[in-house]
Amino acid sequence: MIQYSIEELHQLYALEDYDFQAYTDELFKEIEFQQKRLNAFVTITKQNMITHKNNSLLDGIPYALKDNFHTKNIKTTASSHMLENYISIYDAHVFTCLSQNGACLVGKTSMDEFGMGSTNKTAITGPVCNPWDCSRIAGGSSGGSAAIVASGVVPFALGTDTGDSIRKPAGYCGAVGFKPTWGRVSRFGMIPYASSLDTVGALTRNVRDMTIVMEAISGHDKRDMTSSKKTVPHYLQNLNQDIRGLKIAVFHSISDTIKNKQIKDNFETVIQTLKSLGADVENVSFPNQLLENLLAVYTIIANTEATSHLACLDGIKYGLSQKASDIDEMMLKTRTQGFGKQVKTRLVLGYLASSYENQEKMFRKAQKVRRLIAEELQKVYEHYDIVLTPNSGNIAPKISDDYHNYSLIENHLCLANLTGTPSLTLPTGFVDGMPIAVNMTGRLFEEQTVFNVAYALENAFEYKNQFKREG
Amino acid sequence: MDFEKVIGLEVHCELKTNTKMFSAAGVTFGKDANTMVNEVDIAMLGTLPVVNKKAVEFAIRVCHALHMEIDELLCFDRKNYFYSDLPKGFQITQNRRPLGRNGYLEIEINHEKIKIDIEQLHLEEDTAKQLHYDDYSLIDYNRAGIPLIEIVTSPHIHSGAQAAAYLEKLRQILLYTDVSDAKLEEGSMRCDVNISIRPVGVEQLGTRTEIKNLNSISNVEKAIEVEAKRQEEILLSKKSIVQETRRFDELTQKTILMRDKGDYIDYRYYPEPNILPIRLSPQWILDIKKQLPIMPDDREEIYIKKHGLLKQDAINLVKRKNLSDFYEETIQLCQEYRKVCHWILGDVQAYLNKNNLTLEQTSITPLYLSQLISYVDDGVVSSKQAKVIFELMMEEHKSPEEIIEEKAMKQISDEKILTEIIQDILNNNNQSILDYANGKNKAVGYLVGLVMKKTNGQANPIITNQILLQLLKERTQ
Repeated sequence: MIQYSIEELHQLYALEDYDFQAYTDELFKEIEFQQKRLNAFVTITKQNMITHKNNSLLDGIPYALKDNFHTKNIKTTASSHMLENYISIYDAHVFTCLSQNGACLVGKTSMDEFGMGSTNKTAITGPVCNPWDCSRIAGGSSGGSAAIVASGVVPFALGTDTGDSIRKPAGYCGAVGFKPTWGRVSRFGMIPYASSLDTVGALTRNVRDMTIVMEAISGHDKRDMTSSKKTVPHYLQNLNQDIRGLKIAVFHSISDTIKNKQIKDNFETVIQTLKSLGADVENVSFPNQLLENLLAVYTIIANTEATSHLACLDGIKYGLSQKASDIDEMMLKTRTQGFGKQVKTRLVLGYLASSYENQEKMFRKAQKVRRLIAEELQKVYEHYDIVLTPNSGNIAPKISDDYHNYSLIENHLCLANLTGTPSLTLPTGFVDGMPIAVNMTGRLFEEQTVFNVAYALENAFEYKNQFKREG
Repeated sequence: MDFEKVIGLEVHCELKTNTKMFSAAGVTFGKDANTMVNEVDIAMLGTLPVVNKKAVEFAIRVCHALHMEIDELLCFDRKNYFYSDLPKGFQITQNRRPLGRNGYLEIEINHEKIKIDIEQLHLEEDTAKQLHYDDYSLIDYNRAGIPLIEIVTSPHIHSGAQAAAYLEKLRQILLYTDVSDAKLEEGSMRCDVNISIRPVGVEQLGTRTEIKNLNSISNVEKAIEVEAKRQEEILLSKKSIVQETRRFDELTQKTILMRDKGDYIDYRYYPEPNILPIRLSPQWILDIKKQLPIMPDDREEIYIKKHGLLKQDAINLVKRKNLSDFYEETIQLCQEYRKVCHWILGDVQAYLNKNNLTLEQTSITPLYLSQLISYVDDGVVSSKQAKVIFELMMEEHKSPEEIIEEKAMKQISDEKILTEIIQDILNNNNQSILDYANGKNKAVGYLVGLVMKKTNGQANPIITNQILLQLLKERTQ
């Protein structure tokens, strides 16, 4: 089976004698095969690829959804025992958007339970393997989406990104991962982790496909008051790889901490390439005190919000329900059995950080620091169009590794979530046979600039449309 | 030792908007359980709150009516707790910045006006309704998410009677602003009482208890009195009052412990991230104020000072907005203030009470009432006939003119016609003329009766009397 981009498939579909049945058969045969190899799906929703003749580039395009988007009459589990058998009663806004464009859902992908994790090892269906090396993690929490796109089966999948949940796995799997500005895409129907940080984004194998998908799902939705009424630009039409004169900031206090020499060299190559494309790349200082506290601020805010978002899971209305002699006992039992260890740990942390005794010194302080970070970043964007950082200081860890890497280099991507800015991860090389990547983040609602820089860089490298299907 | 009661009231009131506070599900009472519910109301993960603008408008109306300062930045918070009637596991409310602050309303007790300070008014959402049975419970989510306003007084109320007067007045305002049915017995208005006592003259507040589940104003009054008595007995026996939540038991007329403060809940309030602060337009806030009807206190004053109504009549008239509105519309057409008032408080209200109807369920209109009053004034019909016409007006959608025409009730005031009729009757009743001549005045009444019989009661009684007496004089001279 050939891996196609969205545009290629669109052209094939236009052929008069295109055999949709043959493509569908081949597609699902490959999906089954990859599922055995990668364990990327929670549910495979087999349906025939058809076109609706609606002029959309997404018409008839197969894709996957992270299993935290509601899909009416289809299971939506968030990879948790709590929702293992839960079938949605309504559609997420982005699912409706894609369906209206004619895109065809092939399955719901595995994730860290309720999006809480960066390894995809907390999924109730087990870890997701990295297509480039099945002994390694795909990353999380959108691990299933990253793995299935990187295996070249579907041209795109949707993910969600609260801290780095699209971009981290995209980098590990050699895919393009993008989270838009907070408010650019409606979150209605997305199972939340932390509302003020959550964003809906996508994983693709090239930047053009990314613009097509993002154009389709962006825009105001009256069911999400935080979704912006700003017009959605024609991202694809406006793609422009001429980045001459663009100002790019490198936070050296982040990139200097890369320990892996090859990754460090690769990052340097990226900088030189951008310079050769005409961009002004400069080292910029960002207050260390703020950077050092990114993870703490993120953890406190995300998990405080998570405590209320997951409070509805009490065994009364839907999802897992444990029998008990009284209602309090029932809630307790349900929640104790329904949530995994990682979720419980984070919830306890959230309760602690927002409790009466701690709220001032933890939650409210974190919110203050978050504002300071946003103000400081705003200053950078007064002079620069893009902030460039390495995506990670390492290649994807082994599944068997205990992954406790609380370093700045591994946790800085949440900067874009804390400040709401659009952020894209682009593959830029390989180390030990595993993909590595860089991340670029732009000003609020200036996703086009991010796409343009990524497009220019992508065309200067040879990692566009890469995939790994076997081995 | 004499004790003083210190009382603060918290009133929750359901707003009668078309849809819920944060969801597009409809709000209609009396529907089958769980039929007025969508995915937002049952807290399906991934649903998001969307603020109901009408609910904000309603709340602003009440803020204006209570003379409150209105916060132009509308902010919501999460109040976190687990309870089976709380679908999301948190309630969206306003903790940091309530919509309204520092208002008041005036009550009058024993001819003394007292200002009750209101600390704050905020918007929130209602919980689901639980139905408990012997060995199971059911939950009806129709109520979940209905907009609520909570109105909190300062602890400046000092008796059950004051609390009752406050609640009556507040209820009146909620009805005048047209934001709620405000029925305590049906739960669309709910009152919690915070009460403590202290020896008279002592500044420091005593330990307070909270009384919940009060389903009528008279129960609020009773509960306050019995709870104050209970607290007094405790203090007099040198024990101390425990801070706790109690309920009023109608059967035993006592307050009963519900839960003590050992069950302290940390609500972990924090800003609702899915509703960014909304800047309300000052013009919009002002427009809402301009569109408010005149409030009962102001109406009362106008009725007494400008219309010359008796104080008690004015008070009774403003008690119900629809009657007061009816009065105001009628006096636009007929400036007989007292007559209009007497019709409304007298016959209209009596008819409504007798038939258990509301004004809107009858056919009477301000125009018809004003016409009826004019017909009586102009002598077209007698006041006795007017009552008959009135009854018909209440039942049939017909003008007094139509009714008079139909029932041939128009008074005969034409002297020529009446003279003819009376002459004719006198010709046939010699005995009565003789009786009259002999000083038997009863004869006059008998003859008037004959005139009325002949004219189906249409003869103008005053003119009839005048002519009859004159003719009798002529015939007996």
